[in-house]
Amino acid sequence: MLQVSELYLQIGDANILNGVTLNADSGDAVGIIGPNGSGKTSLFNCLSGFVFPKSGTIRFKDHDITALPPFSRAERGIGRVFQSFGIFREMTVLENLMVALESRASIWGTFLPWSKGSRSLREEAKGYAAQVGLSEKVQHKAGSLSGGQMRLLEIIRALAFGSELFLLDEPTAGVSPKMKEEVANLISHVQSLGKTTLIIEHDINFVQSFSKRVIVLDQGKVILEGTPDEVRSNERLQEIYFGKRAHNN
Amino acid sequence: MEAVFGLVGWFLSSFRSAEYFIHLAILVGIYLILAQSFNLTIGLGRLFNLAHVAAYAIGAYVTALGSTEMGMNPMQCILASALLSGLLAFLLGGIALRLAGDYFAIGTLAFSSIISALLINWKSVTRGVLGIPGIPRPEFGSISLGDNSRFLVLVIGVVVVSMGVFYLLFKSPFARVLRAQSENRNAAMALGRDVRLINTTAFFLSSLFAGVAGSLFAYYLNYIDPSSFAFSEMVFLLTIVVVGSPGSFWGCIAATVFLVLLPEPLRFIEIPSSVLGPMRQFLHSIVLLTVVWINRKRIFPAQREV
Repeated sequence: MLQVSELYLQIGDANILNGVTLNADSGDAVGIIGPNGSGKTSLFNCLSGFVFPKSGTIRFKDHDITALPPFSRAERGIGRVFQSFGIFREMTVLENLMVALESRASIWGTFLPWSKGSRSLREEAKGYAAQVGLSEKVQHKAGSLSGGQMRLLEIIRALAFGSELFLLDEPTAGVSPKMKEEVANLISHVQSLGKTTLIIEHDINFVQSFSKRVIVLDQGKVILEGTPDEVRSNERLQEIYFGKRAHNN
Repeated sequence: MEAVFGLVGWFLSSFRSAEYFIHLAILVGIYLILAQSFNLTIGLGRLFNLAHVAAYAIGAYVTALGSTEMGMNPMQCILASALLSGLLAFLLGGIALRLAGDYFAIGTLAFSSIISALLINWKSVTRGVLGIPGIPRPEFGSISLGDNSRFLVLVIGVVVVSMGVFYLLFKSPFARVLRAQSENRNAAMALGRDVRLINTTAFFLSSLFAGVAGSLFAYYLNYIDPSSFAFSEMVFLLTIVVVGSPGSFWGCIAATVFLVLLPEPLRFIEIPSSVLGPMRQFLHSIVLLTVVWINRKRIFPAQREV
């Protein structure tokens, strides 16, 4: 489904990505870990089109999408969940979901408020809100939700939009331990629907529970790849991630 | 049709001081179209478009030149004014919307200044500061709108249609995505929305209606010159949108009526005309400052820490 080869990204004088190559098949669950500044979020920005690489290619569903803008990639099925909550805070929960669902509307449907199907879209949006326990809050501003609820809304909104590849950038950042479990359940649900997930996380246990494969990035390079157990027991990971060598020294 | 214009015109003019109230109603009507179209871009889309008065000026000059020099009929003039204003904004939008935030505002201000300079200096076409006199009132077949009360019927018709279109737009999914991108551009793009196309469309529609307002303005005054499209008009429109709460359809209507009529009582006080003009701007400034002060926490929210 996703083939990334030899991706180089330069911002100013800094080399952010230095030849990243990775693949993900349909239904794959890939965890991406690495120390701060290793290029994880920049890699997601490249994949979703918010920054363009200096060289290298990104292929999605057998099409070269390297030069496509973000909205075209989203239309093709690449969904993004942002580290810093990509919700529309001044809009209600229902409106947030409607923006995702209305992307399917025709030109008439875009400009006419009472077009055919708008009522069914509203019901569908309420259904998605119910899936994440936000039925009571559909008319509340999204900015009034807790961090966990915002994250649930953002993930379910990507599902409502019809994304096939989910780029989840630290989905548990800013989420309380109690809500973390609900976010985890929702990610499991997304995976059970056969969607492909790439998850950036610092919490290795969290990554382990959702990933069949883990990729370790350091200084913009893939330095390790394997099953969660293989990666976890690897000495090099201990070195760069936990600073074991530094500690021993 | 003529009977309708005649009957409504007779009814309106039968009131005492009717001429004065008809004049105010026409002004309110023209500003309603102008302010609501501005509200679409700055209110819903948070696009700090400072070229709106330029679109209004283009509409007015196209009608003035079309009716005095080119022998175009009123329908052709109104349509040409709308389309030319809209298309120029579409082109400007294509360029200026590549700029983000404050730079977009500066880009549109630059465009507005260019139009202003053209109106003053392209004397062979615009007659510069002398302006274009003798713009005939529209005639639709045998129906002449020379009388203000009859002209008001046309203005009411155009206002009703325009407000109807804006009401639908403000309730539509288009408005929703316009608001969404104004809040979080990246999240809107991640939901498959071509943000630049959405903003350019909003820009086009907004300027299209500003062109219509300009056309009505030229027809009403029979004379236009560059001073009618100065930057102070832009500030007045901004005041209307801020007072009416940006993005609010009904708020914009209420604010337009309030602010257009606000300085009128000054006419009944014996003040020299040289003072009356600045007094109008002074009053609007006080209203704008008061509203901004009351809403300061909403207009200038604290920066989010996380």
